[in-house]
Amino acid sequence: MERFISHSAAETEAFAARLAGKLSGGEVIAYFGGLGMGKTTFTRGLAQGLGWEGEVSSPTFALVHEYRCSPPLYHFDMYRVTSFDDLYSTGFFDYMENGGVLAIEWSENIETALPEDCIRISFDRLGDEEREITVEGLAL
Amino acid sequence: MKILGIDTSSVTASAAVYEEGKILAESFVNGKLTHSQTMMPILEDMLKNARLSLAEMDAFAVACGPGSFTGLRIGISAVKGLAFPAQKPCFGVSTLKALAYNLLGFEGVIVPAMDARCGQVYTASFLAREGRVERLTEDRALSLEQLGEELSAFWGEKEVFFVGDGGNLCYNKFRQEGRVCLPPPHLRFARAAAVCLAAEQEQPQSAAELAPRYLRLPQAERELLQKQKAKGEKTNDCTGK
Repeated sequence: MERFISHSAAETEAFAARLAGKLSGGEVIAYFGGLGMGKTTFTRGLAQGLGWEGEVSSPTFALVHEYRCSPPLYHFDMYRVTSFDDLYSTGFFDYMENGGVLAIEWSENIETALPEDCIRISFDRLGDEEREITVEGLAL
Repeated sequence: MKILGIDTSSVTASAAVYEEGKILAESFVNGKLTHSQTMMPILEDMLKNARLSLAEMDAFAVACGPGSFTGLRIGISAVKGLAFPAQKPCFGVSTLKALAYNLLGFEGVIVPAMDARCGQVYTASFLAREGRVERLTEDRALSLEQLGEELSAFWGEKEVFFVGDGGNLCYNKFRQEGRVCLPPPHLRFARAAAVCLAAEQEQPQSAAELAPRYLRLPQAERELLQKQKAKGEKTNDCTGK
């Protein structure tokens, strides 16, 4: 288990970009932590670390955003996913076969469907800007 | 009657043209690429190489489930689009039945299995004998344990063949139980030619009627709900309710 204390959005992005260097494709990254914890910020850093130069925004509306970096990054938001049929119809299981990295916000909603070897990242609020980021399942 | 068949129900994609006992063309790809990018080029090249045209096709067949959500939609949408302009008949074939047709001519029980995730497989049982394939059970999602119970009637009685992308999983689980066989790769995975063969037993539908047949995962559904219920109760505790 790795712990990182971030003091700003920029630090969260830099940490995520460093973590991206350890990914080779096929990983599932499950985020845990409520609203405003920096999950989208973290994913922005992840995408940058994988070579993505465009924008990264929250996939709350679209359910999934695809970033065609290498390996490709699929950014899910499971906030509105409440049944197994919902999950199936996001194409979640198909994306898992694509050799890309899956980053999943609101993993709490699909916990029983997460693969056993997924990387778990928890966000805890320490202050207005400060966050404790805990990484399980990946050596940094 | 020339039938153009398509299968995109799992990670593999294939297309074939079949006419009364003859496979006129077949193409199969097992890559990590998305079917939305591979299917149409496969189809176009196959027809071109076999000097066939879409206009010559009398009917279309497609594996319509169970299987991958996006995969099924890609294959079915493709067939709908191809069949609709000239109102040609379509055959929606169970993916599992088509897999069983891979072993047409064998003797024994054929159990197609596709990995449905969460420890479950989409599966059905078929009896192959005298050059025919008969369905023994409906298409369903079962845990390996449930499948084992169902197959226990056959152990020691008949040879059981596992096909499909979950075939390996089943073979490893049940290899000690009885006479089981995992056919080689060219017979194990979904093939469009087998979709065409299985289509001969189906009733034709219009392009508009053709629809995917997803299967629910009752057990996974329950677990996901339990988890959410537990979470909800926990939240209530926190708010003092």
